[in-house]
Amino acid sequence: MFVILKRIFRTAWQGLIRNNWLSIACISMLTISLMILGSILIFNNVSHNLIDVLEEKMDVSIYFNREVPEEDILKIRNELIGNDKIAKIEYVSQEEALKRFEEKSSQNQTIMKALEELGENPLVAFLSIKAKDTSYYSEIIEEVNNSSFKDKLMTVGLAENQRVIERINALSKGIKFGSFFIIIIATILSVLISFNTIRMAIYSLRGEIEIMKLVGASNWFIRGPFLLEGAIYGLTASVLAIVIFMPLVIWISPKLETFVSEISISSYFWSHFWFIFGIQTLFGIGLGMIAGFWAMNKYLKA
Amino acid sequence: MSLVYFKNVSKAYNGSLILDNVSFKIEPGEFVSLVGRSGVGKTTLLKMLIKEEAPTKGRIFFNEKDINKIKPTEVTLLRRKIGMVFQDFKLLTQKTAYENVAFAMEVAGYPENMIKKDAPELLKLVNLESRANNFPFQLSAGEKQRVVIARVLAQRPELILADEPTGDLDPINTWEIIKLITKINELGTAIILATHNKEVINTLNKRVISIDSGKIIRDEEEGRYLI
Repeated sequence: MFVILKRIFRTAWQGLIRNNWLSIACISMLTISLMILGSILIFNNVSHNLIDVLEEKMDVSIYFNREVPEEDILKIRNELIGNDKIAKIEYVSQEEALKRFEEKSSQNQTIMKALEELGENPLVAFLSIKAKDTSYYSEIIEEVNNSSFKDKLMTVGLAENQRVIERINALSKGIKFGSFFIIIIATILSVLISFNTIRMAIYSLRGEIEIMKLVGASNWFIRGPFLLEGAIYGLTASVLAIVIFMPLVIWISPKLETFVSEISISSYFWSHFWFIFGIQTLFGIGLGMIAGFWAMNKYLKA
Repeated sequence: MSLVYFKNVSKAYNGSLILDNVSFKIEPGEFVSLVGRSGVGKTTLLKMLIKEEAPTKGRIFFNEKDINKIKPTEVTLLRRKIGMVFQDFKLLTQKTAYENVAFAMEVAGYPENMIKKDAPELLKLVNLESRANNFPFQLSAGEKQRVVIARVLAQRPELILADEPTGDLDPINTWEIIKLITKINELGTAIILATHNKEVINTLNKRVISIDSGKIIRDEEEGRYLI
């Protein structure tokens, strides 16, 4: 067994070194394929993070008329908590609303001066509602609008939110749907690139395979080193792909963060480094070996 | 017990008959030359012996075993018992002369220490010990053919099929190769030499099977090239 393994390793290594241009071509194409795969993994995470960020920012605030007492609002809150579409409800009193507004506007002197001149709290109490799923917001708004306490509400804010919610819902669906298709297309593309490159490499060695068969080598005797060579191509390509990714991620991440501060490619990349590298390595080795096996079968059967 | 027995073998390609009801026997250790014009079916006949081609009709026996009935996994074993020398050498281009010889020994399952000992010896036997680390593209045609012979010897075959082994060689190399093949035969290995080199056949003075229009037209001991 050890002798067989030694022979397979020696022959595979000789093949890699002696067909150096062929090896470089195969490794380069596999690296491109694995970079496509790595990009898919990162894109998939970023797009889902983007949805999460948008969904996290989303809520429906129900503003109450000034004269509605706090007890009534808390009663309404308790009533709404029983709704299985609602995840969380926060009650914000008039005082708390003013405090938050002042904190938010502390840099704006005009607003602060206007508040001071007004002499009273112009804000109203409200309930901030987070749904279990973004698709529930429209239904929650409708239920609130048709509720028994609808006369106690200022409903203008709800109508404006509904448009935003619908847009975010559409965007979320679009991203999920789009990323699924991108994943499928990119995966097919990377598999095709790798398969064809390795098929061409094996094609150029078909004469050698024929001679080995004529000398009396069994199919597995011939296959062994070629499969190992495919695995080495995959492993090398995986290492190269991750090495190329590192500076790319460092470069792109801050640029993306200026648009959406909550999304950090670099933190995802570093926290999932071994996962990405592992998937790439498995995919690379698998592709290299399966493509080699498949391409060789044609000449081994002949 | 015959080493090779062709029994009423015919071979047709796309309806055109290349070999027509051919029958002959070859005994262990015998030297047989197959002669005939190009395209007469000499190579096809040899290819059928290593199961690279199958006969359209008839049966072929090697060591009394019907070649048509052997399993695909047994073909490799058959090819280890029958060495082949080709006109176009068929050396592994990515391997050195030494590695080509060692490869045949690895295929046959020889232990590593034996390969390390015997492969250089075999190269020495064909006078190529100084070219052991050269790749085929660094060797002359005559040297390549000698590596092929060393590779065949490494397999320790019972039969060697030489298909126009001197076709690409100059007269000096031709005679060196023929001398080597004759020497191997004298040591007990049966040889089937397919050639249309009249001078070689007439000098060898061995059994000659002449083929024309797909049929054996002459089979003589100490025969001559008469086509």
